[in-house]
Amino acid sequence: MLTLAFDTATATATSALVDDGEVLGERVSRAQSLLEDVDALLRQAGAHPSELDRLAVGIGPGSFTGVRIGLAVARGLALSLDVPGAGVSTLAALAAGAPGALAVIDAKRREVFAIVDGEPRALAPAELQLAPGTVCIGDGAIRYRDLFEERGAVVPAADDERHLPRARFHAALAGEAGPVDEIEPLYLRVPDADA
Amino acid sequence: MILGIETSCDETAAALVTEEGEIRASVVASQAELHARYGGVVPEVASRRHLELVTPVIRETLGVAGATLDDVDRIAVTQGPGLIGALLVGLAAAKALAWSRRLPLVPVDHLDGHVASLYLQPEPLEPPFLCLLASGGHTMLLDVRSHTERELLGTTLDDAAGEAFDKGARLLGLGYPGGREIDRLAQDGDPAAYAFPVARVPGLDFSFSGLKTALLYAVRDLGEEELAERRADLAASYQHAIVRALVERTQEAARQAGRDRIAIVGGVAANSELRASLPAAIAAPLSLCTDNAAMIASAARWTEPVAYPRYLALDAYASR
Ligand SMILES: Nc1ncnc2c1ncn2[C@@H]1O[C@H](COP(=O)(O)OP(=O)(O)OP(=O)(O)O)[C@@H](O)[C@H]1O
Ligand SMILES: [Mg+2]
Repeated sequence: MLTLAFDTATATATSALVDDGEVLGERVSRAQSLLEDVDALLRQAGAHPSELDRLAVGIGPGSFTGVRIGLAVARGLALSLDVPGAGVSTLAALAAGAPGALAVIDAKRREVFAIVDGEPRALAPAELQLAPGTVCIGDGAIRYRDLFEERGAVVPAADDERHLPRARFHAALAGEAGPVDEIEPLYLRVPDADA
Repeated sequence: MILGIETSCDETAAALVTEEGEIRASVVASQAELHARYGGVVPEVASRRHLELVTPVIRETLGVAGATLDDVDRIAVTQGPGLIGALLVGLAAAKALAWSRRLPLVPVDHLDGHVASLYLQPEPLEPPFLCLLASGGHTMLLDVRSHTERELLGTTLDDAAGEAFDKGARLLGLGYPGGREIDRLAQDGDPAAYAFPVARVPGLDFSFSGLKTALLYAVRDLGEEELAERRADLAASYQHAIVRALVERTQEAARQAGRDRIAIVGGVAANSELRASLPAAIAAPLSLCTDNAAMIASAARWTEPVAYPRYLALDAYASR
């Protein structure tokens, strides 16, 4: 089964083409050029878009615009190719790439996104409960490194690949594929009327 | 056929238009009600709604036309100007549709789209003509020489005409969007009741911000009861001032450019007093004045398509 997976919720976008668990290719770029990567992935694999069996798409949390670009691409592809898909939490995909670590995404406005008591939330970085020695990964961990380290957490070097979402994990985590139009974005914040 | 997609502001729209400019289907999902409680468009609210609506609206468009994506030869999409987050939703969906079928993509300027609303069947206008483009974000006098060449002769120095309508409506306690509300209320009012000033700026430019201030003062001087009584007169006088400015400058521009035909497009072109004050002008049909995707697909007939794969990294722009 050929799965196209991608996530554009964070500053670095990721995409991967996975065939029954075998990663045929994986790329990083930005949300706006996602389809350039997707195009390259399929060409490398000698596949045509119509051969895709399933989509796995990151639903956030992250940049609102980034989340929407990924979902709009997924919806466009699904409409055109009649292909089903599954949404995958960006936090879950990050965590899957760094077993045992806490995924922390920069939420801007002095907040981060993280899983707290099993639920994704937006909160101030100082509000995160960190057991000593907890490994924090993600762009939020890099941004608030000093604060997390002061509190006994461990933040790997900025160039550690665990900080970036990698779409192979979206493919691995994707549940049962259904109508892509029904995959909801995970904003975690109400829109700002003054924004 | 050309599939047009428009998500620049607060309408999610798709349309199917033939090479000859015949509209096979045009679906517009307005978000006006969603934004009414904020008294204006909230960009993040608009962008979220666009994502929810964009594929259902395209599906409905195909359904209305009894067509499938196999009937589509190229995809036209608004690239800008507009709300960047809103534009990116339409652009991403359009790129995905085009890429998956190896179709060319036509990035369309929203303002070219408004002008191209005149080129649709059943009575397509042929350039040259003088065009007044008056919308929520723009007020422009254009010398349209051909389908691809236009010269900007005048523009607003501050608020757009539609913005003046919307802000005036808010001052009068009317709903959003305000243009249509003022238009309706003005039917029962006296356009000469108040002498609102129309700023005289040199050349063919416009200025509407002083007018809004004049209305603010007039409203402030009235008690609540009195305001209720005079609301129709205020609306009629305010509208009259905007329309007079538009009409005078448009006629002057036509004279200077040597054009004997005048056309009006954009949301404000739906205004009944404006249409009545320029009886010889060619106005876009009401349904094509405010944002729609038929005009975007129409403009694509004269816009260079971008072939696969060169459009894959294409970006939107908020302003020129
Ligand atoms: N009957 C009317 N009389 C006056 N103004 C009107 C009328 N109907 C709509 N409008 C105005 O038209 C504007 C919307 O037009 P349109 O959809 O073309 O603008 P926009 O797309 O928001 O802006 P732009 O095209 O400049 O990006 C609003 O400001 C609205 O108040
Ligand atoms: Mg418009």
